[in-house]
Amino acid sequence: MGLLSDPSISTQNKLVDNLAKHVRKVCCGLYILGVVWLGCLALPEFNHGTYLSENALSPGLVYPEIRLDANRLAIQLLEELQRERKEHKSTTPHAWIAAKLNEFGLETHTHNYTLRYPFGGGKEYHGKNIYGILRAPRIASTEGIVFTAPYRAPSSVHPDISPSVPLLLAFADFARRKNYWAKDLIFLITEQEQLGMQAWLEAYHDGDRVLNVSKAYLLPGNLPARAGSLQAALNIEVQDLEIDYVDVKIEGLNGKLPNLDMFNLVQRIMAREGITSGYKQTARKKRRSNPSLFEKNLRQMLAMLATQSSGVPNGNHGLFHRYRIDALTIAAAKRQTHATLKGNAGSAAVPLLKAIEGIARSLNNLLERFHQSFFFYVIVNNDRYISIGDYMPALVALVACAFFKAYLTWSTLDSEVQQAAAAAVKPAETQTGSASGSGSGVETETDIDTELEDGLPYGSVLVYLTAVLLIGYLGNVLPLQQYFLEIPMGAAPLTTSVLSFLTLIGFILPFVVVLPAGGLELLHVGFLLIFGCSLIIIGLLNFALGFFVAVITVPVVIALDTSEQNCSGSMRNLTRFITLLLNPMVVVYVIVLAMSFYQYPELKLDKLLLRAATAAMDASAYGLIDNVIYGNWLYFVVSTVFLPLWILCWTLSLSKRRDIADYSDYEEPQPRKPQPEPQAKFKTN
Amino acid sequence: MNEMFLKLVSIVCIFCICVGGGSASNEDTSILPEGYVDATQRSTHTNNWAVLVDASRFWFNYRHVANVLSIYRSVKRLGIPDSQIILMIADDMACNARNPRPGQVYNNANQHINVYGDDVEVDYRGYEVTVENFVRLLTGRTQNGTARSKKLLSDAGSNVLIYLTGHGGDGFLKFQDSEEITSQELADGIQQMWEKKRYNELFFMVDTCQAASLYEKFSSPNVLAVASSLVGQDSLSHHVDPSIGVYMIDRYTYYALEFLEKVQPFSTRTIGEFLQVCPKRVCISTVGVRKDLYRRDPHKVPITDFFGAIRPTRVSTDRINVTLANESDFIANPEDIAVAKRQFAIVMEPQFPSEFFK
Repeated sequence: MGLLSDPSISTQNKLVDNLAKHVRKVCCGLYILGVVWLGCLALPEFNHGTYLSENALSPGLVYPEIRLDANRLAIQLLEELQRERKEHKSTTPHAWIAAKLNEFGLETHTHNYTLRYPFGGGKEYHGKNIYGILRAPRIASTEGIVFTAPYRAPSSVHPDISPSVPLLLAFADFARRKNYWAKDLIFLITEQEQLGMQAWLEAYHDGDRVLNVSKAYLLPGNLPARAGSLQAALNIEVQDLEIDYVDVKIEGLNGKLPNLDMFNLVQRIMAREGITSGYKQTARKKRRSNPSLFEKNLRQMLAMLATQSSGVPNGNHGLFHRYRIDALTIAAAKRQTHATLKGNAGSAAVPLLKAIEGIARSLNNLLERFHQSFFFYVIVNNDRYISIGDYMPALVALVACAFFKAYLTWSTLDSEVQQAAAAAVKPAETQTGSASGSGSGVETETDIDTELEDGLPYGSVLVYLTAVLLIGYLGNVLPLQQYFLEIPMGAAPLTTSVLSFLTLIGFILPFVVVLPAGGLELLHVGFLLIFGCSLIIIGLLNFALGFFVAVITVPVVIALDTSEQNCSGSMRNLTRFITLLLNPMVVVYVIVLAMSFYQYPELKLDKLLLRAATAAMDASAYGLIDNVIYGNWLYFVVSTVFLPLWILCWTLSLSKRRDIADYSDYEEPQPRKPQPEPQAKFKTN
Repeated sequence: MNEMFLKLVSIVCIFCICVGGGSASNEDTSILPEGYVDATQRSTHTNNWAVLVDASRFWFNYRHVANVLSIYRSVKRLGIPDSQIILMIADDMACNARNPRPGQVYNNANQHINVYGDDVEVDYRGYEVTVENFVRLLTGRTQNGTARSKKLLSDAGSNVLIYLTGHGGDGFLKFQDSEEITSQELADGIQQMWEKKRYNELFFMVDTCQAASLYEKFSSPNVLAVASSLVGQDSLSHHVDPSIGVYMIDRYTYYALEFLEKVQPFSTRTIGEFLQVCPKRVCISTVGVRKDLYRRDPHKVPITDFFGAIRPTRVSTDRINVTLANESDFIANPEDIAVAKRQFAIVMEPQFPSEFFK
């Protein structure tokens, strides 16, 4: 006999019975444990110092050879580029960039791509990337490293980072003269932010694949030349040649990170060149408040998790992670202060150029892809990290609540069903006691009995679950259907209306469909299991998302109780209210509202609410576009996992049972047969 | 005529005196116990061999190749010919694409000496450097068809120098990136060499982390072993060449070379001095020495016994009677051969036990 289906274990265990009485206390304990655990990780005793585990990198062993002339070249190129930018207000000076790459003796190519924007009747955008390949002089072109700089036209709303291009070109010119490259170097200049990068990467890896043109949204085209398997990539975003500090950005698509070795390498080399650099580095402020180390660490940690949770890369590097290429962005901020500088403008970029050279030479030493250090980590400080083994228990503790509750609910399920049935029968007896007739009484009795003997209404619960999951799936599929796309409607209203419609269906569903006796309890177990599994899976793929969702939803999950007697009305109403608040749409709105408030504190409340509403609509549309173009699965998770879970949660918090009248209408009074021993025991409660 | 006679007599007299004196001194040494001591301390080898192994690959292990090439250069300078040096190098640093100076390997940041010069004969290169090949080389069990230059053709009169460098741990040395030789395997290989009379004396020198663990299991006689670090210690590199971006040479080998560079072919430096080249002050690791298997006093053994090819030569003033053999001694009489040939008849055993049925 199977362990789980053994009735003697599941129903008659005293330990289980006792635990079942304290399930909320135990779950609350686990919840607090999980949250406190994560908080503790910010303490220096619980995290570790970073170190380089890849021997081959040997960072900082070479003296940089890049000299002042490279800086001079960068300045000269920047002047030329500024002149070009006057003529190209909203386009990229492709010809100039290609001419420069050619001039430095690189194998220069142009890559064309097309975006077929599906919404609002459909539009086509064209883009162009320029890249130059420096072939490794003495080895086959089997491996490559990418150095990229995004180009932003003057009309862009983002900060101007045009000096990255001259810096990249100056480094390319230097690298061209060296004979020690063991990998091909690709110097890539992309446009249209992440779209260009994504198109180039798709073209590089799948360029020869035949696409279904009618279905694809991004047509990446093909590349005329490649440089073997890409080992690493460095994205350069420099606001000015005179820099203040360097912010190292690592968060990629779906919260993926580059290998910790790569981050450490950049940190070490930046430190050697005397550049202020760090993760989420900001300008050094005046030391007004000196928060404790713990507080600083915790802030840093939560900031990283917050960035990761959306799954949107915070730089062009993030798209490389999808192809298992370790990449990060060095974003250099413009120098704000001009007083007492140690260098003059003529040599301002030398440290940064030296740092890029040092990183390039270390990457050149790689013998295989980064594999030694961590891929899953949280940075608490520039030189301290938490590994996956240390932070995962926090999420496991939170999710354990769901599994624990599921087990206890399951093991006490039989008794509860009996109670419910008994509760249904007793009033029927009293009600029909005055009425006469006994012919159909036997039938009713056997009806209830067979229902109980057959066990629980698995079929109807399964149908319900499927229907709910189908609603979620529709949220993922519907907005992209051809007849919806042909509606002359923007992406934001379209997505929002589809999602709202589906949420509304979910909201009404428990009022319309009422499960048979025992169905609610069974649904509860099913919900807990699905909830636990999906959170663990999401947490494994993107810890930040999983953890944050767990933190806000687990209390409701703990509070949910479907049984009627041991739950006060106010508690139930509170649960219902919080469940409504936790609707994915509401949560998105609240997050956007908080962000708008943080960003525009001067706005009045009514304007703020309105602005947040439009921003939330945009956010859902961007989520969908990110999903179809970049493969960000946040939208998918929200619509296909979180929305169905919310509907289930809503159903359970409502706890709509079939009215007693449903049974009693046609039931006849009949003395109940004595139940088998274990069930009788619980009936007396 | 008379003068001639006198001359002859005088020569004979001198000869007799010489011979008499000589025999007297021989008797003295044979009696004295020091004579025996001297005899054992005297080198008894007739030829020198060197097996130099770099067991590690990859660009960041440049220093191991520099180590082994430096030792190669020294033993070659001190007279061991290429034909008696087996050089095993697991990776090609000179032609590595990352080397800014193609075709050159240096052992010092000053780049005075290109140790990968014009006349380096690498016998085992790249993926040929395996534990199997190394053990086969030591024990002489090379596969059929192995080139003569890849064999250790030593004999009972050979002094063999074995130098190993690479990445080691407690009880093993890593070969390439895939396999290890254990200290037991090494000890067994050397024991087999002894049993097969493949060496007279053996000097085992190893520069890796926890190097001393490699000679712990040795049990064969006449082995002197020195290791760059004790068990539990790391051997460290000496310095970096920032223009190439790799560590150039290991500390122990660096100081050993500093010593060897001053040694000339007729030097009086001893192995005892060589064992002290790298005190803990400069080496950081403690150099381990194993002398219990070696019966001579290292301070009386010239360093050229292992690192050079200076054969012991004795100048004899005696007459040595060498009788040349006649041709007839070698050529046998054909008739004798015919006699020696036995007559025999071929007896065929019956295939079936047919006699039972008769």
